[in-house]
Amino acid sequence: MSNENDPKPDGGTASHPEQDVTEFEDHPLEWDEPENNNLAPDERASVSQSAEKDDDPKLVTGQAKYTADYEKKFPDLAHAAVVRSDVPHGRVANIDTNDAEEMDGVHAVLTPWSDETPDAKYTSAGQSYPEPSPWDMNVLNEHVRYIGDPVAAIAADDAETARAAADAIEVEYEENDYVLDPEEAYSEDAPQIFGDDEVENKIVGHDYSRNRMSQIEGEIGDVDGAVDRDDVHVHETEWETIRQSHAQIEKHTTLAYTDEDDRHVLVTSTQVPNHTRRQLAHLFDIPIRDIRVSKPRVGGGFGGKQAMVVEPIPLALALAADRPVIYEATREEEFAGMRSRHPMKVRARTAVTDDGSIEAIDLYALSNTGAYGSHGMTVAGNVGSKPMPLYSKVPNARFKADIVHTNTPQTGAMRGYGAPQGTLALEGHLDEVARDLDLDPIEFRKRHYMEVGDLDEIAGMMGGEGAERRIRSCGLDECIERGMDAIGWGDIDQPDEEHRHRGIGMALSAQGTGVAGDELGAAQLMMNEDGSFHLHVGGVDIGTGADTAFIQIAAEVLGCPETDIVIKSSDTDVTPFDYGAYASSTTYISGMAVKKAAEDAKERILHWGSKLLEEPEANLETGDGEVYSEETGESVSLEEIGYEAAYGHDEREHILGKGTHCTEESPPPFAAQFADVTVDEETGEFEVNKLVVAVDCGVAINPGMAEGQVEGANHMSYEMAVSEGITFDDDGRSEVTSFGDYDWPTASETPTIESILVETHEPTGPFGAKSVAEVPTNTVPPALSNAIRETVGVRITDMPITPEKIRAALEDDE
Amino acid sequence: MQFSLTVNGESLDIEAAPDDDLASVLRREGYTGVKCGCDGGICGASKVLIEGSAEMACGKAVQEADGATIQTIEGIGSQDELHPIQQAFVDHFAVQCGFCIPGMIVQTKELLEETPDPTEAEVREAIDDNLCRCTGYQKPVEAILDAAARMNGDGAVATDGGTPSAPNACEGTERNGETNE
Repeated sequence: MSNENDPKPDGGTASHPEQDVTEFEDHPLEWDEPENNNLAPDERASVSQSAEKDDDPKLVTGQAKYTADYEKKFPDLAHAAVVRSDVPHGRVANIDTNDAEEMDGVHAVLTPWSDETPDAKYTSAGQSYPEPSPWDMNVLNEHVRYIGDPVAAIAADDAETARAAADAIEVEYEENDYVLDPEEAYSEDAPQIFGDDEVENKIVGHDYSRNRMSQIEGEIGDVDGAVDRDDVHVHETEWETIRQSHAQIEKHTTLAYTDEDDRHVLVTSTQVPNHTRRQLAHLFDIPIRDIRVSKPRVGGGFGGKQAMVVEPIPLALALAADRPVIYEATREEEFAGMRSRHPMKVRARTAVTDDGSIEAIDLYALSNTGAYGSHGMTVAGNVGSKPMPLYSKVPNARFKADIVHTNTPQTGAMRGYGAPQGTLALEGHLDEVARDLDLDPIEFRKRHYMEVGDLDEIAGMMGGEGAERRIRSCGLDECIERGMDAIGWGDIDQPDEEHRHRGIGMALSAQGTGVAGDELGAAQLMMNEDGSFHLHVGGVDIGTGADTAFIQIAAEVLGCPETDIVIKSSDTDVTPFDYGAYASSTTYISGMAVKKAAEDAKERILHWGSKLLEEPEANLETGDGEVYSEETGESVSLEEIGYEAAYGHDEREHILGKGTHCTEESPPPFAAQFADVTVDEETGEFEVNKLVVAVDCGVAINPGMAEGQVEGANHMSYEMAVSEGITFDDDGRSEVTSFGDYDWPTASETPTIESILVETHEPTGPFGAKSVAEVPTNTVPPALSNAIRETVGVRITDMPITPEKIRAALEDDE
Repeated sequence: MQFSLTVNGESLDIEAAPDDDLASVLRREGYTGVKCGCDGGICGASKVLIEGSAEMACGKAVQEADGATIQTIEGIGSQDELHPIQQAFVDHFAVQCGFCIPGMIVQTKELLEETPDPTEAEVREAIDDNLCRCTGYQKPVEAILDAAARMNGDGAVATDGGTPSAPNACEGTERNGETNE
């Protein structure tokens, strides 16, 4: 299997031949939107109300169950521990498990050569099939490629015994040369991390002799031609980003067992239950139907769980030990053995005329994907394909990326998915260009950014013909206007001390909403005789409030209170198929599936309403828990309908609705970020006084939850601007092994974050919604860099921004 | 060894090794609202009130707590009868994944008992070792300030994040006060 001829850097693999894509190819501005999808604010009963988050009563009282809370249900539960490589690159020459196996309470010890250890290659990336990531991993490894690579696994009576047994395993390594720096790795004489025969499903542009897992490039127009013109200035800047940890508070945790029907069950903290089920079937050679992946409450993911990170280990151990096994990663493993954001160097180049017309944008990224290539190509693709379309009026654009391996822990999906790295480069760069040309940074952007009606060709730059998109909603102007008001643009007081200065920086961002042409969500709805509903949906709530948004969407269609809908999501035995929680798709894709399922059920509800009210269906509508006649004012309750449908004399049915949804569309949400900063020019110390971020997410299904997403994303973005991330010593060992080492802004170190929701109507989304949770992750690093530049005249391009760097730059300036 | 604890008003005799951490012991006894996020006294998810003082249970050996009166999140309000702090967290959308929330609510309870009318800076300082990855702390801080207002009977201070109903919230306080504290 190969993806080589079929690159699609947005995370997908190819257009689906069975779908009729022609209807999308002309990208009409007028979307064929059902009337009931576009409700005026006063017509909305549930949507765009801040309904209480469905799981909150359980969460605030400690009653909610996360994976580790299932332990007590399994009296014979064994606990897992993993032996991880102690060298950055090498081969296991000898492994002595005798002492571990003889310890009391040890039930299974697995090495790369054990019968129960899968030996197939795979990728951990939780993506569509075939994954646009190389199959370069083994569950347990003879060839180890970073300090932390799994080598052996143990199941024992309790976690302490498992850890002691892991420590008793002696591993001898035959050490290889290693390389930690991506630029060094990308040279012909660097140590080679993969042999050509060690990877299946290779990705476009691979050259393993130089540790390159992929190279991608796309262009519209003629960038070189524009750059060579006499009437343009060519500007070039370089930017660097940190290796950020997801740092979700719930560690990766999986409980695996084989049930009384010989089926293999995983209760697991995942964003991708269906992808995980498929990947486990591949690894273990078990039919998909015999694997059940069930997601309980999840304590945060942020992309770190858009991967099958730990699940194969407890399943292999459960098969070997013939008893349930739980594996809960340690926090040290979270930092050194799970996933992180790809650190990158990004070069931005533009050709701009004297009067400030951008003729070309050219971005290049060098991405460090670490030891394995999961999400490597697709994240790098988004460095270009998310930020650059914002300036869709620019006629020439090019993006190129090299994705290289190093002997550091593997990276993966993380909220923003490449867009934060690209947004720093592009928005920092444009600010610098505006200053050089003495242009207002906002007006400069406004001349080039997208507006409703535009055909965005840059979004299709990497994907070939037909991959462009039409812009049907855009609230950028209002985002900027309201953001400027809230931050006090042009109206801030300077500090009294002469050496302290205050200023504001800004940045814009666009993201996508789902992966165009590569998503699927599904839902079904069952009506009970008392007029309540069970909503089964594949969509995955990892703490985002997705379950609540699904309920609100269904309630809006059905005309019932939210409390009459009981949701069950993300259990592959029970709920319909879904790609999972990623790519800003959940509300848009899975939410639309829910809407369709509710509309399907509503048709039958109206049928029964018609029968009971003796009125034609065309006169009937649902609302307030009833079906009512718009003609006569007569009504019948959903409960009466439920009983009549289930127990009627002459006709009976179980009222069911189903919906599935996929689309070629991926409308961008927008953000305008503002950062207010005070800088001490003597010391370089700076204080962020306030962050304001205004977001156009279409119609917010639940504004309270949407604001929470925006603020949380902005905090994560702030961390990218001011924190060191995960760093390594010269041996490739993580210098961050606990939350105590990971320097991220705590409550007292976090400035006030003001979120503003700007409502637009996106006709392709459920009730006008598009995505919200990723776009505010992109914007603080450039806004803060721009604010520092505005305030004291120096430019910091390599993250994090620190007082030392500012002071050094100020000294250089003198 | 045998240890005795009073947890949420109930006397428990527990068999444990002396250096077993209190969070694991409480979780074994079914108090799974006590969360473990860090392996060692840093993230704040395991906070419980020990003799009224908010402490990370994962950083404390059970023998150090022998004989102590402990309140966990399970002892602060119930789903049908939320404590005003819990109600404020719900109303302000201060909860996303919820994993850090039990510890944060426990910490808030200590704060508001000692400082009924805290400033925003005092709130941020109080939850400085309650790590949260979801919220950016903005809505939890707003919720805590509003909870203080509600518990002081000053419903007018409620901010735009929720739909607080001050009189009911105050009744809730009193009922919870009798049954859960």
